[in-house]
Amino acid sequence: MPRLNPSAHNHAHLLLSLVLLVNAASLFEPLQLWILLLVLCAVIIRLSLFLNWQKHQLSVRTLNLLAVLSAIVLAYFGWQLGLLLGMLNLLVMASSLKLMLLASRRDYFQLISVQFFLIGTGLVFNQSIAFSMLYGLLTLLLLLSLAFHISPSSAWLQQSHRVGMLCLQALPIALLLFLVMPKLGPMWQMPTAKGTETGLSERVTPGDVAQLARSADLAFRATFDSIVPNTSQRYWRALTLEDFDGKSWQVHPYRQKLRERYRSAGLAFRPAIEGPSFDYQVIAEPTQQRWLFGLDIAISSDPQVWLSHDYQLVSRINLQSSLAYKVKSYFMAPLQEGIPELDNRLNLQVPAEGNPRTRELALQLRAEHVGDKAYLQAVKEVFTAGGFRYTLRPNPMPVDPVDQFLFEDKAGFCAHYASAAAYMLRLGGIPARMVTGYLGGEMRGDRYMSVYQYDAHAWVEWLSDQGWQRFDPTVLVSPLRLDYGLERAVAYEESFLLDTPLAGFRNIAWLNEFRLMLADMDYLWSRWVLGFSRENQQDMLKSLLGKLTPTRLALFGLALVLAIALLLGLYQLKHWLPDRSNPSAWYYKKALKLLAKQGLQRPSWQGPQDFNQEVAQRFPGKAARCFGQLTYHYMRMNYRPMSEQEQKASLSQLRRLVPQLKQALSEGGG
Amino acid sequence: MQTQIQQAVEQISTLILGKQQEVRLALTCLLAGGHLLIEDLPGMGKTTLSHALAQVFGLNFSRIQFTSDLLPADMLGVNIFDNQQQSFRFHPGPIFSQVVLADEINRASPKTQSALLEAMEEHQVSLDGKTHHLPEPFFVIGTQNPVHQAGTYPLPESQLDRFLMRVQLGYPNWQAEKKMLQQPQADRSVRLKQVIDIQQLLRLQQHLGKIHASEGILDYILRLVTFSRESDLFANALSPRASKAILQAARSWALLHERDYLIPEDIQAVLPAVAEHRLRAALAEHQSKSSLSRQLLEHVDPLAA
Repeated sequence: MPRLNPSAHNHAHLLLSLVLLVNAASLFEPLQLWILLLVLCAVIIRLSLFLNWQKHQLSVRTLNLLAVLSAIVLAYFGWQLGLLLGMLNLLVMASSLKLMLLASRRDYFQLISVQFFLIGTGLVFNQSIAFSMLYGLLTLLLLLSLAFHISPSSAWLQQSHRVGMLCLQALPIALLLFLVMPKLGPMWQMPTAKGTETGLSERVTPGDVAQLARSADLAFRATFDSIVPNTSQRYWRALTLEDFDGKSWQVHPYRQKLRERYRSAGLAFRPAIEGPSFDYQVIAEPTQQRWLFGLDIAISSDPQVWLSHDYQLVSRINLQSSLAYKVKSYFMAPLQEGIPELDNRLNLQVPAEGNPRTRELALQLRAEHVGDKAYLQAVKEVFTAGGFRYTLRPNPMPVDPVDQFLFEDKAGFCAHYASAAAYMLRLGGIPARMVTGYLGGEMRGDRYMSVYQYDAHAWVEWLSDQGWQRFDPTVLVSPLRLDYGLERAVAYEESFLLDTPLAGFRNIAWLNEFRLMLADMDYLWSRWVLGFSRENQQDMLKSLLGKLTPTRLALFGLALVLAIALLLGLYQLKHWLPDRSNPSAWYYKKALKLLAKQGLQRPSWQGPQDFNQEVAQRFPGKAARCFGQLTYHYMRMNYRPMSEQEQKASLSQLRRLVPQLKQALSEGGG
Repeated sequence: MQTQIQQAVEQISTLILGKQQEVRLALTCLLAGGHLLIEDLPGMGKTTLSHALAQVFGLNFSRIQFTSDLLPADMLGVNIFDNQQQSFRFHPGPIFSQVVLADEINRASPKTQSALLEAMEEHQVSLDGKTHHLPEPFFVIGTQNPVHQAGTYPLPESQLDRFLMRVQLGYPNWQAEKKMLQQPQADRSVRLKQVIDIQQLLRLQQHLGKIHASEGILDYILRLVTFSRESDLFANALSPRASKAILQAARSWALLHERDYLIPEDIQAVLPAVAEHRLRAALAEHQSKSSLSRQLLEHVDPLAA
């Protein structure tokens, strides 16, 4: 039997479908495409039911078949998704099926609660301020849907007003809870979905096409408490790559193993250094990786952060969400405290074959120049005098990439230069390695700096007697890259941010201002809301309470519960306080209270005359007579046309009768 | 004058046994100048009640038995060509009486139903471009079988709304039915004594408007209708016409009880009769519990100053 349409012109159902649609769309990445299509179908079905194009719902049998099929498809595709993503897909799939089925009250409430849960899940995946606002809006829409469910015939404006008032009342309580609720650690392992999007990776192959330079996503932010490094000092180290196979650079497996061993043994690398330093806090965006960012030599006291022997900052866990850590960078100190014989061994390795012309050139140069310094100078001259060009659109170099780069194309970006230079240094017997990270950063105000993915850079480090020395061959070719950032360095070929929509508008002043303002807001959001960690909370509590003793905490908790109760009470106050505008009602209600104490509660729907009869049965005698007169005067004042004088007379009677009733009741009860 | 109303109640109650409340409601409806719908199973005394009402007020009475082939003309009347006078002459139909019993109204076709309901609303009949006024007072008592009985055209909501009240008689209790069986057979011919004449009835109806409705009472009515509109219990809420009907019926009820002001109990007494047929449950599960107007009353506090 076809089921009747419960959704026709039902705003509650319409809003619910809308929320499900937006919710699913915001989870575009973790969801599978077919589930999004299913959601879309469900919403279209609901919409046509709402508009009454379609009068009957799908039958339960059809839906059951669809559910079984979907479950099979999800089981088939969902194996490799892992628990969290699998569950999320299952939940969205189930809610889309439920939306098709939606008929009874129970279905509706189930779906509403699932939507609230999905909003929470969405906040796990999307944390920027824009998404937070979107999810806030969705929550409001869900509440509005509930309001429509409870009173379907009220107008939109009235409903929104009601929901708005409720939310405003809830806001102070929510703020209190945000500030003082103990922060729990994450309950589950986060998926590693976003790793490929960052500008850096643990393996750099310069011969592949350039991709990293074009993303305008934020990499991290730094807030300086000391002087700010000038532009030529902003070399943010992320990864030290020591293993070269002729094409790609990557973290040396041996170094990796060593790092694991040190870390499991709890041995930290603590170079003895002193001198001036930059002091700053970094808020790194989630990368799903462990590397962190710092200016050399970066020392962090954060327990989360660990310094490796190649001066690289490493996090103890993958960066599933933004991580804030404090760093001191001793920029004058030499990098000379590694493990010298290991550094030497790893950084002289060259592949036995490949790139023959480069080999030949290196041998020739080495023979001509005595001493490391002279050889280095000769390598530098190769780049300065060779007619090289900086570009973001190099040709692919599948075979012997260094040869092709140095002798044929003579055009490439930082990774090409760094790779070729480090390779030539190694061929000449100088230990050298590639360092990747970010060069630059955009100052906002005079304290904080944003570094974007397009600031990604690669340079070379070579080992001298005074430790590791930085050598950036890219700057030899394109000095603009260092002083003005990538944007100016490649201005001539217009390839900067080619893939980002609206990139062309960066030159319009007010738009740029707006972009920076958004960036500011996002910064404040991630610093103060997302970054509000357990430590911040404890600091706040400490500044409020002084020393954190259990008694103080308990008292504080108690005070807080009281504060919330007080807030809730304030909203109800109007209903609790007696209404003095109608004095007769006030006296009458007093009398009712007296009776309620004796166990006779007036049902809230009963009229005064009917109740009077009940009283007469229950308390015969003086009390009933008293209450009878009370009722008479109350009704006279409220329901009959009367002159002022009569009103006054009745009121004085009421005033007299209430204590009499009290007395009569106590006598009867005693 | 009010004692006459009491007499009327007593008179009718000798015929309809054990149904004081329903008889009172029917009288209330007549006093308020509204039309009455009696919904019940066959044989519950619907026809007897309407007969009795007509008799105690001394009104002329006609009865139209609704069937599926009844045409509007059968009820309203026809223009017939008079050979002697060489002109059309209007033959009024049975609707031209002061009390009309429209029996089994939901068995007639919608066309006939709407002709009747139009006459009820306008107090006049238009035929071939001529308007014929109906007598005053004009009081229609519709009876109908419950909708689930076979062979019915249920009245749509918009037409149910034309009836001020809907009363259900229900089965009499043990004593009342026994008393009825003990009565002599010949009581079909018994005529009730007329206790009120037309002039008095019209005067009473005029007096209705003077019955005082305080602000507290009006607020109570408004709270009731607002609750019906905002709650999720009802799919059809109470219209402004319904709130007017509640006030009018409550005044009539107060008059019946010899009071010249309204109290909340008046509203509570008439509300089930006035509101029940105008409400519709939002969900089937609500319908099965107690009556909708009862639920409505239980949700609203009459005092709440």
